[in-house]
Amino acid sequence: MDSTMEGMLETYLFETNDLLDKLDEMLVADEKVGDFSTDDVNEIFRIMHTIKGSSAMMEFNAISTAAHKVEDLFFFIRDKGIDFLSADAKKELFNLMFKSEDYLRGEVSKVENGEPLPENSDEFCKVVSDFLDKISKKEEKAEESAASGGNAAAGTSDSKSSAGSNIKAVNAQLSGLPDDPKAKTFIHIYLEEGVGMENLRAFMIVNALKECDIDFRYYPEHMDTDSSTAQGIVDNGFYLAFDSAEACQNALSVLPSQNHIRSFEEVEAPAKEEPKKEEKKAEAPASEASAPAEQKSAAKPAPGAPEKGTPSAARKSAPIKQSLISVNLQKLDALMDLVGEIVITESMVTSSPVLKQLDQEDFDSFNKSARQLRKLTNDLQDISMSLRMVPISGVFQKMNRIVRDMKQKLNKDVKLTIIGENTEVDKSIVDSIQDPIMHIVRNSMDHGIEKTADERIAAGKNPQGEIILSASHTSSEVVISVSDDGYGMDPKALLDKAEQKGLLTKPRSAYSTREALNLILLPGFSTNKEVTEFSGRGVGMDVVKKNVESVGGAVRIDSELGKGTTITLKIPLTMAIVDGMKVTVGDSIFTIPISNLTQSVKIEDESEIILDENGNEIIERMGNFYPIIRLSKFYDIPGQYDDRMTEGIMIWVEAGDKSCVLYADDLLGEQQVVVKPLPTFFNNFDLKSVGISGCSILGDGNICIILDVAGIYAAAVENT
Amino acid sequence: MAETQGTDIKAESLSNVITEAQALDVDDGVHDMKRCLVFESGGITMFISTEYITEIINDHNITHVPVVPNYVKGIINLRGSILPVVDIRLMMDKEPTEYTNKTCIIVLNIDSVPVGIVVDNVYSVMDIDQAEIHPLPLKHQEKLANGMLKLDDEKETVAMSFDCHALINV
Repeated sequence: MDSTMEGMLETYLFETNDLLDKLDEMLVADEKVGDFSTDDVNEIFRIMHTIKGSSAMMEFNAISTAAHKVEDLFFFIRDKGIDFLSADAKKELFNLMFKSEDYLRGEVSKVENGEPLPENSDEFCKVVSDFLDKISKKEEKAEESAASGGNAAAGTSDSKSSAGSNIKAVNAQLSGLPDDPKAKTFIHIYLEEGVGMENLRAFMIVNALKECDIDFRYYPEHMDTDSSTAQGIVDNGFYLAFDSAEACQNALSVLPSQNHIRSFEEVEAPAKEEPKKEEKKAEAPASEASAPAEQKSAAKPAPGAPEKGTPSAARKSAPIKQSLISVNLQKLDALMDLVGEIVITESMVTSSPVLKQLDQEDFDSFNKSARQLRKLTNDLQDISMSLRMVPISGVFQKMNRIVRDMKQKLNKDVKLTIIGENTEVDKSIVDSIQDPIMHIVRNSMDHGIEKTADERIAAGKNPQGEIILSASHTSSEVVISVSDDGYGMDPKALLDKAEQKGLLTKPRSAYSTREALNLILLPGFSTNKEVTEFSGRGVGMDVVKKNVESVGGAVRIDSELGKGTTITLKIPLTMAIVDGMKVTVGDSIFTIPISNLTQSVKIEDESEIILDENGNEIIERMGNFYPIIRLSKFYDIPGQYDDRMTEGIMIWVEAGDKSCVLYADDLLGEQQVVVKPLPTFFNNFDLKSVGISGCSILGDGNICIILDVAGIYAAAVENT
Repeated sequence: MAETQGTDIKAESLSNVITEAQALDVDDGVHDMKRCLVFESGGITMFISTEYITEIINDHNITHVPVVPNYVKGIINLRGSILPVVDIRLMMDKEPTEYTNKTCIIVLNIDSVPVGIVVDNVYSVMDIDQAEIHPLPLKHQEKLANGMLKLDDEKETVAMSFDCHALINV
């Protein structure tokens, strides 16, 4: 596949997935109400139409035909009006639509993974056709009982003989070609949106072509005099009919120079079929011309027709001009790196020792300019950071679907409440928290919420269970929590289970409630005895923990037996730039993220330090005891004040619910640093496990090492 | 054959030599000539193919990284990117010495892993016939060498072929 094709494929996948997401959102929202709104029916039709078109263009025929089927179905529904369907049929339609969405998603993901697509999608198409048959048969009955079909049903009334011909009629209408038996080819032209007086603009184009001595006819016929045709042209475009292919080619060469054309395409006249069909066709455009505002006149051009866009022709799939563009994430990363470099270089320049040689006046004016530069680089930094931010709603919307599916399978009545879905987080974080959130929601649905409504009533709860998914910002982190009002977890049961599995690392009595709850984060721990389709394989919460920790976050579990469980994910807002406190140990400079810092003090007397039997140092602070980790000892660097603890500095740090005291030589001050990963060479030595998470270049060109408090704690306190 | 350029090889002149070497890299079938940089560390003369070499720098401030073995000297800031630095003298279990103005860091890129090696002295770039490199007589004794060769100079120095891959797969 060459690079243009690859680019197109990327765009295709992006667009199609986007459309499917939109569809999903719409279906979930509509199902809650139990009805499709007219707008949504139109929207689904449009989505399917777009997927059909772009898939055909990419030659994914199976996807294209499947989308086409659904499009047919919705064309029918749109034509009849959604209220035509009974409540049962609507329910069935919802299930069918979710199935269709899954089917299309499945196929698209095959494309994504480079797997071969099936030749056709007959099986799926049959399901859709069956449904269409069913509802159109009902229509038959309904119309038989009615006195007359009336004008509204004119388009389809003569096609009610069988469901099969119904679809054919729909197809014929879809192509929307005007009745012109002599014509060999048509050109179907769409005007730009919102140009106004569409009928006259179309007529101007017609005149321009006439001036070029091209022989053709145009539809609608009286567009120059009848202003009511304008709406039809907006919805439906207009047609030029040519008797010869040559004339058509001439016209095609002239059209690109005309104004206000959004897109045009060449359409072959259909082969002459049974006269009955011709008749039908004659009727369709006629009714369209007379009542152009009718909904069905929005029929789209034939599917197979190749789209011959001019350079100026906008893509038909984007009827609303978006002010959004999609950018390769790598470019954003490169931009971030550059901005980071600029920030560093700027502080290199402004703290240059050469400046001291300037006289006061020059120095002042330099400072003035430097302040201006600082302001601009700060703005630049903020903007480049915000580029990577996306709302978390995409992830949350997917949970809607999961809850819906599980609700049906497990037969539980659960309401999903979403709070703060507009919270923005870094794109890379969104990608890595989607699976954890999904897993937690599944767990809550499966194990959290009581099995039956009776059980809930007996416990004095609302018979409908509730899962609350919320996201919010604190100054430095995103907090995402999933709470349910189900059983809650019993620390005793968790301890029993862990003991049974041999997962306990200290005496049972030594476990606090929180530690007991945290047991579920251990690999191989699953509280449910049976394995279900959704959860319970014991590979779960440990993966959640791992994923969240990989983006620097922490998992916290709160649960009250009988009341419910809340699982909170705290994730640092962005990993690229951190506010850090620089500390020295001997000649080395380390940076501790400010978000981990609680306080720092110098002790007055070495007697404040308590020694345990192994000589480990412990300090008391506000009623709690904390272990002291000497960075000099931990990293084997000779420190300046190793023997005079009163000279050095004690730094209280915490990561999640772990806290300890680090002992270092001195504090150098606060600085924003751009986090750089350690060179790949260091993968040979597992530095992450000793709390070294990255490094950063300081303003003076020196390098400092960024410490990860959770890592230090795990290595120094938990493993010794 | 390249001229001996003395000990103070500048990065720019070396990169010129490298481009030239790539242009001249012709394989006539019998001789597998490769441009190699000859350097010395811990009293051992070694050579390495210029295809791995990005540049040669000296006088850099090395930031110590804790916990790693002592031969990993630390990291340096090479124009905004972070480069690990290994002292091969220490890797070959030789005594550490003070770094002098002749001490260089050869910046290598081995299978897209960038790494710098500290060497005592850099001599010259010369064409070395890969077919003439002898295997080492002692098996599994050398950490960083995978062959040896008598160089074509007046002193007929014996040089070891530097094994880049052994360096990054420690």
